[in-house]
Amino acid sequence: MREIRFTLNGREVSTSAHPMARLIDVLRDEFRMTGVKEGCGEGECGACSILKDGRIVNSCILAVGMIEGAVLETPEGIAATDRGRAINAGYAEAGAVQCGFCMTGMAVATEALLRQNPAPDEHQIRTAISGNLCRCTGYAMIVDGIKRAAIKGSGLW
Amino acid sequence: MVTFHRPVDLAEALQVRAETGAIPLAGGTDLLVRHRNWAGTLPRIDKPVVYVGHLQELRRIDISGNGSGPQMTIGASVTYSELLDHPTTPQLLRDSIIELAAPGLRNVATLAGNICNASPAADAACALYALDAEVELAGPSGRRRLPIAEFITGPGRTALNNDELVTAIHLPPDNSTVKFYKKVGTRRANALSKLSLCACARIVDRTVTEIGIAVGAVAPTIVRDRDIEHHLQNTAPEQLALRIPQTLQQYAELIRPIDDQRSTAEYRKHTALALIEQFLTHELR
Amino acid sequence: MNKSPISTAVQRVDSHGKTSGETRYLADYYYPDMLYARCVRSTRSRARILAVRVPELPEGYYYVDHRDIPEGGENCVAMINRDWRAFAADLTSFYGETIGMLVGPDRSRILQIMDSIEVEYEDLEPAVNIDEALALKGGPIHGSDNLFAEINLTKGDPDAAFARAARVVEGTFESGAQEHVYLEPQALCGTFEDGKLTIHASTQCPFYIRHSVAEALGWAAEDVRVRQTVTGGGFGGKEHYPDVLAVPLAVATLKIGKPIQLVLPREEDLEVTSKRHPSRITLRTALDSDGRILGMQLDTIIDAGAYESSSRVVLQRAVFTGIGVYDIPSVRAHGRAVATNTVPADAFRGFGAPQGLFAIEMHMSQIAQELGVDEDEFRRRYFVRRNSATITNGHVPEDVKLNELLERVKQLSDYDRKRRSYARGGGRGIALAFVQHGSGFTGSGERDIIKARVRLRRTEDDVIEVCASNVEIGQGVDTTFRKIVADVMEIPYTEVQLLNTNTDLTPDSGPTCASRSVGVVGYLLQEGARKLKARANEPGPIEVEQEYRQPPEIRWDAETLQGDAYPSFGWGVTCIEVQTDPVTLEAGVTGIWAAFDIGRAIDELVIQGQIDGGIVQGLGYAQIEKLESSNGRFQQITMADYVIPTSLDYPAINSCLVDNPYPYGPSGAKGAGEVVFDGAAPAFTLALQHAFDLPLRRIPVTPEYILEVKKHARNPVHA
Ligand SMILES: Cc1cc2nc3c(=O)[nH]c(=O)nc-3n(C[C@H](O)[C@H](O)[C@H](O)COP(=O)(O)OP(=O)(O)OC[C@H]3O[C@@H](n4cnc5c(N)ncnc54)[C@H](O)[C@@H]3O)c2cc1C
Ligand code: FES
Ligand code: FES
Repeated sequence: MREIRFTLNGREVSTSAHPMARLIDVLRDEFRMTGVKEGCGEGECGACSILKDGRIVNSCILAVGMIEGAVLETPEGIAATDRGRAINAGYAEAGAVQCGFCMTGMAVATEALLRQNPAPDEHQIRTAISGNLCRCTGYAMIVDGIKRAAIKGSGLW
Repeated sequence: MVTFHRPVDLAEALQVRAETGAIPLAGGTDLLVRHRNWAGTLPRIDKPVVYVGHLQELRRIDISGNGSGPQMTIGASVTYSELLDHPTTPQLLRDSIIELAAPGLRNVATLAGNICNASPAADAACALYALDAEVELAGPSGRRRLPIAEFITGPGRTALNNDELVTAIHLPPDNSTVKFYKKVGTRRANALSKLSLCACARIVDRTVTEIGIAVGAVAPTIVRDRDIEHHLQNTAPEQLALRIPQTLQQYAELIRPIDDQRSTAEYRKHTALALIEQFLTHELR
Repeated sequence: MNKSPISTAVQRVDSHGKTSGETRYLADYYYPDMLYARCVRSTRSRARILAVRVPELPEGYYYVDHRDIPEGGENCVAMINRDWRAFAADLTSFYGETIGMLVGPDRSRILQIMDSIEVEYEDLEPAVNIDEALALKGGPIHGSDNLFAEINLTKGDPDAAFARAARVVEGTFESGAQEHVYLEPQALCGTFEDGKLTIHASTQCPFYIRHSVAEALGWAAEDVRVRQTVTGGGFGGKEHYPDVLAVPLAVATLKIGKPIQLVLPREEDLEVTSKRHPSRITLRTALDSDGRILGMQLDTIIDAGAYESSSRVVLQRAVFTGIGVYDIPSVRAHGRAVATNTVPADAFRGFGAPQGLFAIEMHMSQIAQELGVDEDEFRRRYFVRRNSATITNGHVPEDVKLNELLERVKQLSDYDRKRRSYARGGGRGIALAFVQHGSGFTGSGERDIIKARVRLRRTEDDVIEVCASNVEIGQGVDTTFRKIVADVMEIPYTEVQLLNTNTDLTPDSGPTCASRSVGVVGYLLQEGARKLKARANEPGPIEVEQEYRQPPEIRWDAETLQGDAYPSFGWGVTCIEVQTDPVTLEAGVTGIWAAFDIGRAIDELVIQGQIDGGIVQGLGYAQIEKLESSNGRFQQITMADYVIPTSLDYPAINSCLVDNPYPYGPSGAKGAGEVVFDGAAPAFTLALQHAFDLPLRRIPVTPEYILEVKKHARNPVHA
């Protein structure tokens, strides 16, 4: 079977997975990017968020054949950058994290937002994470974490 | 096991489709969700799939001007996010997209997918009804264009032949001066519609010259009725006000919603009529 | 508030790993040779199972059912009762009940085999709601009367009160089922480690799992090991429910001898796991000719589903909390937990209290409206005080700061002005709810059933280690437990180590539920740390244990349910403001304010997280989380249809705390995890009543329901 090539966190990689395999399964089971979480498998919760060509997408409802040639970034990839560290620090300072299952997806949504808009207002932040469900926090402390991340990482985006 | 085709261009895609009857796949947000299975397994689709989301011919937005304003041709694989980023996207369509799903979905999902899915609750499709959109199809025997209301033939059914693909959606110039969009969803964001109303009108010199009213999720297909609209055209707002009771009665005949897991028939009907009334009385002043 | 140093927020210890993706949850562990499991489930609400036909299985695939339970074991999931069967054998009592488990290496293959398994049923007539169950439709499901539990309580002389009444006001209030939607679905893995059967689980209660697995296998508890993995939310849904999955999984692991992962797909999780109990509560109040309350009658019914699980205790809390924060002189309460052929209901944040509090708050406001007096002032007049008698003829053991909480909320929200200026029925509304929540287990449960123990150790290398079985599920105990111990030891909290729960190594300090982790177990840690500190000069490693002792003035009779049902209470005032759409009847929440007395915050940010999360979850319950059942099957079984709040549904919450240290809590802390949830539903519903001027009697208050009430309300509350 033909290999599917793509860029994963800056590395050229390929997979021999079936092109209709879910991207989330390939990322988790083959590349062990377990920061990509499965909360629903139906595109609703955002726990499986990653960046595809710089934009946030839900990896549970993408077939791996659809991302041939794309540039993908997972939570692990983002966390290893200065921006990722700023996001992490902003969340920690705001006390944004509870059970944490939504948090990698939130971090991806934060990165996607700040790339487009390094100084977002409250409504823009809430819109940017509207596809990322969190059952623990009621969101306000995450919103605060994102604001702090934008300040801490000012100039990085 | 399902076969996946990734054609290099539209011609090959049409050829695959004609030869194998493969199901088109654009953003996958309907198709892959509908056939989803279990973690670690392939979706349950019993036919081959032809991916079209990457085809350059379908990824373009073209603007052509004629005297009355810009006409927009939206390639079938253009995503919602790309439409939101585009300055020409008409307000009604923009309003419907802003409230459709969430950023991650909008980055992959397409207008063509929304109409081919032919759900009466499809939000963007509802705006396309109000905007008089036409659907362009390509097949072995060439291209054809259908008004959206003829393209969608029933719930989950379209006029698309097995060897055709949707290639583009054409929007005539939007000359409306009043636009009204209201989605009643199951929550405030990332919600499916219980019902929706997309309406627009052109008022020139205190006369309503054109009007378009589309109602989603209240009948087997999106409701738009030219006859009723015709009776409302070329009237001054005061005259129009007199016709409202009768108009609502006419719509009441067409609005035949169901009870389901999202809402009740009674609520849908009541609210749809109330929204039409609101549009006619408050928005058209 | 005079802030205690311990309340000052610190950085949570689990923040970094969870945001970066380093932290691993159950599904992130890949064991060599791991197999996957899928449950074969009943597709009938009530039926005899005549036969299960499993095709010949390929090499490496296994079908496991009740016949695989080893000799000496029992086909049951032992919780409080043992009625829930591990595998339905000859009878199924709800749609989705586990009949068997299919295990193998390839998940596609498992699904193929699943498709060819045939179950032959003989249908029986199900009773799928409270009315059908009380009418014994299809014959009793449980006992002779379909009651898993019944409570009768009397305080004062209710008969005399009603005999004297000049007027009686009555109202019936209903609440729906609610699904937890912990973001990580139920997840467990069975393995053999060092030759010992080991269950890894996303769970609130590792010792519950150990107990139920050991009982089903007929083993000693010590022969089973349970390890908690980082748990992606629980809210009560991972209190007992993991037992229901762990027992079949343990049977399969024993039979097959390889690691087996069982992670529920979200839809299955939505369809078959336990929910919050739906309720129907009728309240009748006897008033004298001056409109003073003489007495009250409560009839509390909760729909328990097909098996008992925790319903007896949930019912107790619903009834014990049934008169809310009010001192009512005479009360007669009747409570019933009814068996129906539906998914068994079980623990969910609040544990019966939200249902009881919704009803009493709505009813008190109803009385005030019928009397034509101010709802808030009317309720305030009946606030309990220190030493007020409770519904169980115990006493309120502490200072009650409800008036102070009320004042704080009014200030934050500009309540008086808004309440006056928003015309009734004018589209905007604002309202208050007053709540209390007993901390810890009901009655003498802590002393007689839980018997919590914790262990603290100073190691060779001078590290302080803490062992308790209360687990981090997002609520912050990994951080707050460290803080409590560090505070006593006068060391930085980062120097305290907390051992991950492993039933072989950690003592049983009880389950993670009932707002007890900080209030009850945290106190044991504080006392243990004091012992450790007193011995600080001793050389070498030191180990101390601390056991639960009931606070001295608590009296409780578990037989008659008389006395002090709870040793301490959390108190709260929640204020919700709404703006409604007159055309679509939708409601938007435009303001949320709240004040709580939770004793003292161990960490302000952790508490703020509880308040924010609790209120938003409570608003979801009140407004959008509709879970309807039709013929015993839930109708909303995808995340697209069962909707929980998004970031755009509710505004940020403005809250504050009033300090009221509790002598038997660590640094004065009481429970906080549930009281924060309780007030949202009544406050929201009362605000909507204000905005629409309609009598609302049911949650969730959807626009569909508003329309229904509008059409049928011949007599609006205020004509
Ligand atoms: C979480 C979530 C939220 C959603 N929210 C909304 C919402 O609020 N409102 C709403 O209306 N919808 C919603 N949807 C549905 C869906 O996202 C939209 O209908 C979307 O527009 C579908 O586009 P797609 O490109 O993903 O379609 P796909 O899934 O790729 O395709 C959909 C259908 O169109 C056909 N098709 C696609 N392209 C072509 C083509 N070029 N020619 C012929 N046939 C074609 C496919 O064969 C398929 O039958 C939601 C879905 C999810 C998962
Ligand atoms: S797991 Fe992909 S959106 Fe929930
Ligand atoms: S922190 Fe638990 S779901 Fe967000």
